[in-house]
Amino acid sequence: MTRSETLRTEVNRAPSGRFCPNYFRYQGYTADPPAPITSLRANGIAALFTRPEPYIYTADLIAGNTRCLYAEVDRELRHEADRFAAQLGSRSFLTNKDHYSPNYAHVVQVGIPGLLAEIDASLQAHAEDPDRLEMLRAMRITLSAFAEMIGNYAKKAEMLQNDPAYDRESLAFIAQNCTALLSGAPQTFAQGLQLIWFCHIAFSMEERYAMALGRLDQTLYPLYRREIDAGTLTDAQATELLQNVFTKIPTTDVVNICIGGTNPDGSCAVNPLSSCIVAAVKRNNAPGPNLSARITPHTPDAFLQECLESIGTGLGYPALMNDTVNLAALAKIGYDPEDVYDYSMVGCIENFITGKQPPWSDGRFDTPRFLAYVFNNGECPFNGSVGLKTGDLSQFLSMDDFMHAFKAQLSHGVAEYCAAFHAQNTSINQRDYAEPFLSCFCDDCIARGLDINNGGSKYPSIHGAVLMGVGTVADSLAAVEKVVFRDKAASLTELRDALLANFEGYETLRQQLLAAPKYGNNDDFVDKYAVWFLEYLAGLFSAYKTRDGGAIYVAMAANTQNISAGRVIAATPDGRRHGEPLSDAASPTYGRDKRGATITLTSVSKPDYTKAACGTVVNQKFSPAMFSGEKLPKLATLVRTYFKKGGQELQINATSREVLLDAMEHPENYPTLVVRVSGFSDYFVRLPRDVQLDILNRTQHE
Amino acid sequence: MLQIFNIQHFSVGDGDGIRTTVFFHGCNLRCPWCHNPESLTQAAISGLRCRQMSAESVLAEILEDRDYYADGGGVTFSGGEVLLQAENAAKLARMVREADISLFVDTAGCVPYRAFEALNPFTDVYLFDYKTASAAKYASVIGGDLALVRENLFRLLADGKDVRIRIPLIPGFNTDPASVDALRADLSDFGIRRVWLLPFHRLGSGKYETLGLEYAYRHTPPLAKETLAAIADRFAADFTVSIE
Repeated sequence: MTRSETLRTEVNRAPSGRFCPNYFRYQGYTADPPAPITSLRANGIAALFTRPEPYIYTADLIAGNTRCLYAEVDRELRHEADRFAAQLGSRSFLTNKDHYSPNYAHVVQVGIPGLLAEIDASLQAHAEDPDRLEMLRAMRITLSAFAEMIGNYAKKAEMLQNDPAYDRESLAFIAQNCTALLSGAPQTFAQGLQLIWFCHIAFSMEERYAMALGRLDQTLYPLYRREIDAGTLTDAQATELLQNVFTKIPTTDVVNICIGGTNPDGSCAVNPLSSCIVAAVKRNNAPGPNLSARITPHTPDAFLQECLESIGTGLGYPALMNDTVNLAALAKIGYDPEDVYDYSMVGCIENFITGKQPPWSDGRFDTPRFLAYVFNNGECPFNGSVGLKTGDLSQFLSMDDFMHAFKAQLSHGVAEYCAAFHAQNTSINQRDYAEPFLSCFCDDCIARGLDINNGGSKYPSIHGAVLMGVGTVADSLAAVEKVVFRDKAASLTELRDALLANFEGYETLRQQLLAAPKYGNNDDFVDKYAVWFLEYLAGLFSAYKTRDGGAIYVAMAANTQNISAGRVIAATPDGRRHGEPLSDAASPTYGRDKRGATITLTSVSKPDYTKAACGTVVNQKFSPAMFSGEKLPKLATLVRTYFKKGGQELQINATSREVLLDAMEHPENYPTLVVRVSGFSDYFVRLPRDVQLDILNRTQHE
Repeated sequence: MLQIFNIQHFSVGDGDGIRTTVFFHGCNLRCPWCHNPESLTQAAISGLRCRQMSAESVLAEILEDRDYYADGGGVTFSGGEVLLQAENAAKLARMVREADISLFVDTAGCVPYRAFEALNPFTDVYLFDYKTASAAKYASVIGGDLALVRENLFRLLADGKDVRIRIPLIPGFNTDPASVDALRADLSDFGIRRVWLLPFHRLGSGKYETLGLEYAYRHTPPLAKETLAAIADRFAADFTVSIE
């Protein structure tokens, strides 16, 4: 077995005992009971970091995992610890706990001792301010404990020296790197990577989810370059070290890594380390590290092709981000230019000002719901929820009238959404929920002596409103315009009755609705509604702010939630039946874009995505043959042209064997899966079974 | 009016770059392995229908893809046999050329040369099907006159046109070593240095079924990987070989 195979086996082996972080925190809480709450939290974190015994995998080159939090603990004691933790409370996703991209560039530059020195300087500067002193002391406690944890790893590596399961050389490497981190800034690429990974593990021990690794190819590049120049590191070694880390990222987490992008002087930020990261993610061949590549007009062809080859393995990573659009979108929010250039992603695709704003949150805004309100004067016929009374349908004599009512419903919905978010987001007293460790990795918490969520961060908190169903809404509005107001084939009242009946008994009308122009076919009759959708909703949300004055900006992503959202949304005028999925992310409704990738992407590039500062997702599938040989550069051309036209993101997937097998079993779900070879194209589902198998065999070969 | 049975966007197998392939209806050959049977019938089955289109309307659809033609892409006329509609196709070809878009023409070449002459001024590259070196087989199996094809190839080359030889590899027709060697000798005589091989597939089966037609190649499996490699190797002795 190779080292990475061994590591994967070790990582997948279930740990013994129970996951009990509170048990470890509890030891810190009880050590110093009368402490004020921020110090109490810091003591808990300190115990969480220092009390568990580090675990090192035999295949580790870079150490660190959360396995140490599994322990055999007395049931009563465990429950007592959980009770205590519950009483103390903690932040959650909607109160800015996680989905954060730390300032790793700074800690790699100054090391832990450097950060401690900054805290000490700030303690001096704020000597007269007891609140800030408490916060700074709490930071110091957690950061010192973090250093102690690294020291414990070094000791553990030394202790294991005579264990025959381990190789001494790797243990010595780990021990040496850990020890070096205690006395200064990292001096080698491995030390830099080890430091970032320990930070990430510490956040994971704090039970934070979707913590990003940020712009790894930029933060580690100086150390990488120095070693490459000195001849002490090769690309193969750097890639192996990266893979050693990536294998330890749980496949259940969403850890974003951002590569590429633009430098503040406009030049391309891709470097040889960017390629090593793509290679390591490709070799790791598992979800977990969620790789995002910022593609610019200056991105070298070779690098884009490396990205596409990685995608073509079936992995689907990296997601391709249009840097030009994202830079413009973030600039509109008002961040300083140098911070805009340094953005990275958290979670799946969400743009984030690296290390300079509180953890991100989002919520789903199910736009097709508001169509039902228009048809039923503010009432949802199925779940009784209530919208605005926009009047009886008979009053709507034109498409303008209809749009007027729909806009009013959306405006009302956005107000409700923001009120609900605000209620949740401010449900805690910010002061009582300090994050002393996390704050050490956010500008300017240390200098200000303030918590990341309480005035410490350079920028205020942000929230993403995820707009669901652009395709469903655009298709629905086009169908209303075409069938009701243009062809006059049905009245709005008849259409409402058909929707209420879920089209039972209205099949002719449903076919007319389905025949109306659909988003994704480069037809402005319907595409104009997708353009309007983003423009209008981004405008509505931009009128609201987060608790500390930050932006509420919009995204169009779905993460398969278009399926769950669709289940509770009534039939829509685009011909979609009650319960069927909404359109996915920023993509057209699945199967309705029938004219080929260039045409789909032309439609999809029409909305002004510089208004979607949070980010969007457009999914496209291609056969594996597209990812090699002479076809690969054509795929690159497709991506570049789409980005030039203003598309924001492209999530490409190779049509896997599994997809083709599924299409054989469920042809109804794959109406537009096209087979293309020279001079020929046909729908996959039309092929006889044995001919479908020809394709399947081809796929296997390629 | 042009007889068109399909306009395919994002074509990646019919020439350089990203192309828009316009499929012209009608053919004067009857290749039993043909994968586009809808080019031969007048059946009006949904999705497999011949449309009457003006050159302007075809051009409008081409122009939708214009931005994607960076890196050598453009338009390919295919079929059917486009040269059977040479006069009307030339009208469209002129518009394509005037829009400064690259034009490739995919042809079996079994038409009078004056059809080529109509398109020559606007065509950047001919994708020229060369199916066999045997005039007897060409006549008996697909009903064409190989002498005419050869004459056209000769004249195109003499006129300095960029011609890419494409050879469909059809089991039982031209994949045996003797047939391959005959093709090699024949094409070498023309001074050809590079060939594009198009391995047989039976993906047209679904269309035959939809159209209610018998497909002679319905049960012929695709070429085995090793067979294809052996054929490619044989051609590689004389030519640069690409497999589409």
